[in-house]
Amino acid sequence: MCGSNDSNFAGRLLRRLGKNSHLIDAATGQTLSGKEIPGLIAGFAAGFLSAGLQAGERVLISCGLSPASTLAYLGAMYAGLVPVLVDERALATSGEPILARARAKAVWVGKGVQCDWARRNGVTQIEGNFDARPAHSLPPAPCKEEDLAVLMPTSGSTGVPRLVMVSHGNLRANTEAIVQSQCLGPDEKAMLIMPVSYCFGASVMHSHLYQGGGVVFDSRFMFPDKVLRAMNTYGCTTFAGVPSVYNILLRRSNLRSIQLPELRRFLQAGGALAPESVREMRGIVPTAEFFVMYGQTEATARITYVPPDRLGEKLGSVGLPMDNLMIRVVDGEGRELAAGQTGEIQVRGPSVCSGYFDDLEATERKFGDGWLKTGDFACRDAEGYLWIRGRTSEFIKIRGVRVSFGEVETKVAGVPGVYECAATATRHPEAGEALALFIVADDGPSIVAERVRRALPPQWTCVSVRVVPELPKTENGKIARSQLRTMA
Amino acid sequence: MEELLVKVKAAFSSTFDIDPQTITLDSTPSDIPAWDSMGHVELASSLEHAFGVSFDVDDLMAMENVKEICRVVQSKVGKVQGVRV
Repeated sequence: MCGSNDSNFAGRLLRRLGKNSHLIDAATGQTLSGKEIPGLIAGFAAGFLSAGLQAGERVLISCGLSPASTLAYLGAMYAGLVPVLVDERALATSGEPILARARAKAVWVGKGVQCDWARRNGVTQIEGNFDARPAHSLPPAPCKEEDLAVLMPTSGSTGVPRLVMVSHGNLRANTEAIVQSQCLGPDEKAMLIMPVSYCFGASVMHSHLYQGGGVVFDSRFMFPDKVLRAMNTYGCTTFAGVPSVYNILLRRSNLRSIQLPELRRFLQAGGALAPESVREMRGIVPTAEFFVMYGQTEATARITYVPPDRLGEKLGSVGLPMDNLMIRVVDGEGRELAAGQTGEIQVRGPSVCSGYFDDLEATERKFGDGWLKTGDFACRDAEGYLWIRGRTSEFIKIRGVRVSFGEVETKVAGVPGVYECAATATRHPEAGEALALFIVADDGPSIVAERVRRALPPQWTCVSVRVVPELPKTENGKIARSQLRTMA
Repeated sequence: MEELLVKVKAAFSSTFDIDPQTITLDSTPSDIPAWDSMGHVELASSLEHAFGVSFDVDDLMAMENVKEICRVVQSKVGKVQGVRV
């Protein structure tokens, strides 16, 4: 196993495809069968190689909600290249900085997707599909478990994301743990409304194909009923979403009247979903299990999950570590804490990645000594279930996208009339979390607050801008975030 | 109708931070990258605010393009005015 030369994860996936391994685009009805997929992936691999790319070189893959980007991603990996995944919606804003950070040699985009900056950067732009070719005519590029398989961005559309180095062994370990925890069989079909450039989306695609199942992509979640109906049309057994997705299903769809007889499980990750929303989901679709999970891109994808049969009594917890992971909760000095005490979650195991691409300093800080420092604070109960107390001290998750408080505060502090600013997170029915801002103003308070509101980009959902005489500070002069939360 | 379209376009423009000139009656989510699931929710809130109406789930599902949005808004505005009369 370890050290052998046939650990190419894309190659492994191909060998495991079965008669249910369809890739479907629900918006167009386009369906690729498990028989066609290996040839299509081999076609992409051959196409990339014939474009002059060589083993180990990076290629940006623009990921939309269609089978094509999955084929391109797996094709690049199959060829021994390193795909660098970017959300198609963020291509215009994040594509160029990610290209530079990854020092990629080429960019692949789906047919008709604009990418006018590729040529400007002197890299090859490849668009659309390649012809299929027999998979046996091009075997997967030989690689070892520890070889780099993919560079995954850490966040969505805000700022330049770090690129997590995910190995073939990481992918295999996390995929197998997910398969086991969800009891996935060969007749599964997942409905995916998030792209595979997000580790949650990738993990759902990997785990379903790995077991010989299939994936349906649907880009129409702005009309959730269409997605619910497509789940029935294609017999989807799994639905995956971040908290805002479940809040939309509960408030902005006909979930209550559209029966989902084939559905076996809901998967929820990407931030905390309010326990009352979980309870409501369970009540509306009691026939499907509900998996509450916790993860990080730095650990490939999934870290913990609540076994569905314990959900009722553990509501609000993110559960137990996957079978192949070790977890500890430590204090500021790195000492392991007893049950009931709150500290940072640290993770160790075969799905913990080796670090960030081309960022030794951040890699050392986050991955040094073999334990992944998640930055999330939690305590464990007597049974080992993790209860997250503070999502992180540095980030807010708006609509599933991580935004650092530092970034928000820097932006707001630049608004004329703002003397000082502090941002905190507050629960939001649709965005999951939203910003609550506190400012100390130099000028007339209402004018400054209005200026701040106008200066915020639209994706930073903000519920309040409050002008205060001073900000709460710790004795070191840092903003007292815990106190801010109670003020929000 | 023309006045209504102008207000609808203004709601699009402020929600998605785009030039109202680029919006046509046929515009759909695939033409406007920010018009995703959360974008749809924000657009609806902004339309509700602009027209003083509220949408139910079926209205949201029907709002597939600008033309349909105008139709839904028109029917709602009509009802609101009807109550006033």
